[in-house]
Amino acid sequence: MTLWFELGAAGLIIGGVYALVAVGLNLQYGLMRILNVAHGEFLMLGAYLAYWAHLLSGLSPLLFLPLVFVALTALGIAVHLLCFRRLAASTPEVEAFEARSLLVAFGLMFIVQNLALLAWGGDLRGYAYLDRPVDLLGLSVAANRLVAFLCALGISRGLVVLLRATLVGKAVRAMMQAPIGAELVGIEVRRLHPLMFGLGIGLAGVAGALLSMVYEISPAMGESYTVTALIVITLGGLGSVGGSLAGGLLLGVVETFGTHLTNPSLRMLLSYGVFIAVLLVRPKGLFAR
Amino acid sequence: MSPRRAAALAVAGAAVAALLPLLAGDFVLSLALSCLMYVALATSWAMFSGATRYVSLGTSAFFGLGAYACAWTLDWLPWPVVVLGGAAVAAAFAGVAGVAILHLRGTYFAVLTFGLSELTRHAVTYGEKQYAGTVGRVLTAAPSNQTVYLTVLLIALAALLLAIGVRASRFGLALNGIGADEMRAETLGVPTRKVKIAGFALAAAIAGAAGAATAVRWTYIDPPAVFSPFIGFQTVLIAMIGGAQSLAGPALAAVAFSLLAEALRLQFPYIYLVLLGLLLIVCVLYLPRGLATLWTRA
Amino acid sequence: MLHAALRAFGALLLLGATSTAYAQSDSVKIGYAISRSGPFAAGAQVTQEPNYILWAEQVNAAGGLSVKGQKRKIELMGFDDRSEVETAVRTFEKLMTADKVDLILPPWGSGMNFAVAPIANKHGYPMLAPTALSRKLIDMKLPYFFALLQQPDKMMGALIDMLAAKGAKTVAVVYMDDLFGLENIAAFDQAAKAKGLKVVERKSYPLGVKDLSPVLRAIKEKNPDAFVGITYPPDTFLVSGQSKEIAFNPKFFYASVGTAFPLYLQRMGAGAQGVLGMGSWSKTLSPEAKAYFDAHVAKFQKEPDRWASGHAWAGLQILQQSVEAVGLDRKAMRDHIAKSEFKTILGPIRFQGSENASIPGTVSQWVGGEFEVVWPPGRATATVLTPKPAWK
Repeated sequence: MTLWFELGAAGLIIGGVYALVAVGLNLQYGLMRILNVAHGEFLMLGAYLAYWAHLLSGLSPLLFLPLVFVALTALGIAVHLLCFRRLAASTPEVEAFEARSLLVAFGLMFIVQNLALLAWGGDLRGYAYLDRPVDLLGLSVAANRLVAFLCALGISRGLVVLLRATLVGKAVRAMMQAPIGAELVGIEVRRLHPLMFGLGIGLAGVAGALLSMVYEISPAMGESYTVTALIVITLGGLGSVGGSLAGGLLLGVVETFGTHLTNPSLRMLLSYGVFIAVLLVRPKGLFAR
Repeated sequence: MSPRRAAALAVAGAAVAALLPLLAGDFVLSLALSCLMYVALATSWAMFSGATRYVSLGTSAFFGLGAYACAWTLDWLPWPVVVLGGAAVAAAFAGVAGVAILHLRGTYFAVLTFGLSELTRHAVTYGEKQYAGTVGRVLTAAPSNQTVYLTVLLIALAALLLAIGVRASRFGLALNGIGADEMRAETLGVPTRKVKIAGFALAAAIAGAAGAATAVRWTYIDPPAVFSPFIGFQTVLIAMIGGAQSLAGPALAAVAFSLLAEALRLQFPYIYLVLLGLLLIVCVLYLPRGLATLWTRA
Repeated sequence: MLHAALRAFGALLLLGATSTAYAQSDSVKIGYAISRSGPFAAGAQVTQEPNYILWAEQVNAAGGLSVKGQKRKIELMGFDDRSEVETAVRTFEKLMTADKVDLILPPWGSGMNFAVAPIANKHGYPMLAPTALSRKLIDMKLPYFFALLQQPDKMMGALIDMLAAKGAKTVAVVYMDDLFGLENIAAFDQAAKAKGLKVVERKSYPLGVKDLSPVLRAIKEKNPDAFVGITYPPDTFLVSGQSKEIAFNPKFFYASVGTAFPLYLQRMGAGAQGVLGMGSWSKTLSPEAKAYFDAHVAKFQKEPDRWASGHAWAGLQILQQSVEAVGLDRKAMRDHIAKSEFKTILGPIRFQGSENASIPGTVSQWVGGEFEVVWPPGRATATVLTPKPAWK
C-alpha cells in the first residue's frame, strides 16, 4: 500500500516539474501561435542565472527567482520585438506564420545555446541546495523537488487567476478567443503580444532556476525540456493553463507507475505512446474546452 | 520550365556529379555526399509536405529505419537490395502510420510526427536491447566510398525525378489540391486519404534509402545517431528556406546550406552556429517565401 | 547583377567550405575534430580537449615537439564535430586527405571512435584513443588504432574482486541502455558469477531519465551489501542525490562515470566520502601526475577528471615519445607504438594489439576530499574505506 502511495507522490512531483516547464510555452502558443522551440534554451539561461547568483553571493537561489523572472521577461520582450513582430506583420495567414515562426525559433535555439556554450563552456555544473529529504506524511521527498512542485502549482494557479480576474488577463483571453474581434474592441494587441511572449520566457527562466536546484546544468540541457514542454501542452490542450498543469501531472504519474509495473527502459516508450494516443483520440488535448 | 526539360537537366547534372570521384579526394566527395543527401531529403519532403502543407517532422524516423534496415541486412544481401530494403521499410512504416495520423493538420501533425520519430527511436532501442542484446550495430561489410557516393547521387536524382513526375501528374495536382483546400478537394472527388498516404510513403521511401546509404559511413550506428531529430529539423529548415512549394528551391537550398554550414564551421570554428542561427532568422524575416523568391516572380 | 553576385557568393562558399586558414609551414600540424557542442560536449570538454590544448602549449613553450631530435612547433587544428558522427567523419577525412596533417588526435566517445578509427587506419594515421570503451572496437583489430582505457571486462572484474575481497555478498545493479551500459553489464554478470556474488536486483534505464527513486526504493528494500550503478554523469548525480534523499546507505556505493569529476565533490560535498567509481589516477600517484594536475588547474581553473583525463594525457605522452624516437613517419610510429613500452603518468604502458595491456582494472574512491585509487592494492594510493559512511 505504501508503495503505491510513494509512487503516486513521486509521479505527482515529477509531473509538477514537467508542468512547470510547460507553462510558459503554453502562453506563447495558445495566444500567439508561436511554437517556441527555443523555450528550453531560455530555461537554461534562467538556470545559469540562478547558478551564478547562488555561487557568487552564497545566498539561496530562491531569493533570486524574482530577478530571474524580470531579467528573462525583459529578454523575451526584446526577442519578440526584434524577431516575431515583423514576422507577424508580414504573414497574416496563420499556418504560414506558424511555420515561419518555427524557423525563427530554430534560429534562436542555435544562437542562445551556442552563445551559452561560448560563454560558459560545455561542462556540467551544479550545486547542492535543499537536497535534504523532507518527511511528507510518512514519505521522504527531496525538499528541492517539493519546492519545484509547489512553485508549479502556485505559478499555474497564479496565472489562471491573472487571466480570469484582471483586465489584462481578460484582454489576453479575448485575444485567444478572437484575435480580430479583440482588436476591434480596442484591445492593444500590439502592446500585449510582446508582453505575453516575454512573460512566457520569464516563466521558462523561473522553471530553469528551480530546476537548477535539482539537476545539473549545461548549455545543452534545454532541448529535452522543450520536448517535455511540447508533450505536456499538447496533452493538456494548447492554450489551457490549467490543462497543462493537469497534463504535466498526468504524464508524471503515468510514467512513474508505468515504469514501475514494467521496466524503466520503457519510460520513453510510455511517454510517447501516451502522447500519440491522446493526440489521435483527442487532438485538442485532454482538457481543452 | 517543362517537366521534360527539368528532368533532362537533373539527369545531366547527375551525370556531371558522377564524375566527381575521378576528380576529387575523399573530403570533397564527403562534402558532396552531404549536399546530395540533403537534396534528396529536402526535395522529397517538399514533394509531400510542401504541396499538402502537412508539415512533417518525421524524416528522422524514416532515415533511422532505413539505416537500421541496412544494418540488419548488410551482411547477407547485395548492396542495391540493402538500399531498396531501407526504402521499403521506411515506406511501409509511413504507410501504416499514415493511416492512423493523417487526419490531423497543421501544428498538430508536426508535433505528432515528431512524437512518432521519438517513439520509433525508443522502440528500436528497446527492441534491439531486449531481443538482440545490443544497442548499436557495427557495419563492417561497407562498400567503398565511391559506391556510397554514387548511390546517394542516384537517390538524389530519384528524388528529383520523382518530384518532377509527381508535379506533372494528376497525383501532384491532388496533393496541391489538398494543400489548398482539403475539403474542397474531397467534394471534387479526390480520394484524399489514399493520396495523402501515398505521398507520405513516397517521401519516406527516399528518406529511408538515404538512411540506408549513409549509415555505412559511420561504421557503428546507434539509435541516438540515426534517429537524431536534428536530421528532421534540418530537412524542414532547408526545404522551407528554399521554398517548400518550389521544385528547385529545396535542392538548391540543400547545396547552399550544406556548403555554407561547412564553410562557417571550418573558418569560424567557435562561433559558426551562432552565425548560422542569425542567418536563418534574417533569411526568414526578409525572404518569407524562401530563396525561391530570388528567381520567381510569383 | 543579382546573378553575378550569386555566382561570386557561390564561389566564395565553395572556397570557404573546402579550405582552412593556416599559418607557418614548418610546424607540425596536428588535426582533430571533437565535440564542442551537442550531447557529447560535456564529456569531451572535461576529459579530452583541454588536455590537447594544454599539451600543445606546454610542448611549444619548451621549444616545440622533438622530431627525432629537431624541435618544431606544434600547430593544432581543432574543429567542432557537433556530436554528429557524419561531421566528425568528414572533418577527419579532410584533415587526412586534403590538409594532409602530420598527426591526428582522436574524437570523444566510443561511437565517434568507431567511425573514425577505420578511416585513420585506411590513411595510415596512428590513433591513441582515451575515451573508447568497447570490446567490439578492439576486436576489429585495426593496426593503427590503440585504445588506452581499460576495457569493461577489466574494470568490472576489478570491481567485483574488490567487493568480494571486502566481504560483500549481495549486490544490486542499475545500468544504462547503451553500448557502455550493455558491455559493462555483460562483464559485470560474468565476473559476479565467477566470484559467487548474488545479484539481487538488475535494472536498466534509458538515457535522459529524470527520476530513479522508485527503482532505488525497491533496491533499498532488498538491502544489498553493494550498489553498483553503470551510469553516465547526469545519472551518476541522480542516483547519488536520490539515494541520499531516501537514505539508502549500502556498505558499498559505486557509480561508474562522473564520480571522477571534480563536480561530484562539489555537488555531494561531505556526502562524497566513500563513494566508489571508475578512476585510474590521482595527483598523489607520482610527482609527474601532480605536475600535470597543477598545470591543468593553472590553465583552465578546473581540475582534470580522475578517470579518462589521465588516459588522454598518457596518450599524448606516448605520441610525443614516438615522434621523438622515429620522427613523423606514421608507419614507423605505428610499429614503434605497437611494440614499445612507454613511461606515462599512469605508469608504464604497453599495447597488445589495440588494447592497453599494462594497466589493470581499477577502482577509485573519494577519501578525504580526493578521488584515490583504492584497488588493486598494487596500484592503490589509499586504502579502501569501508563501509561507506551514511550520506550527509
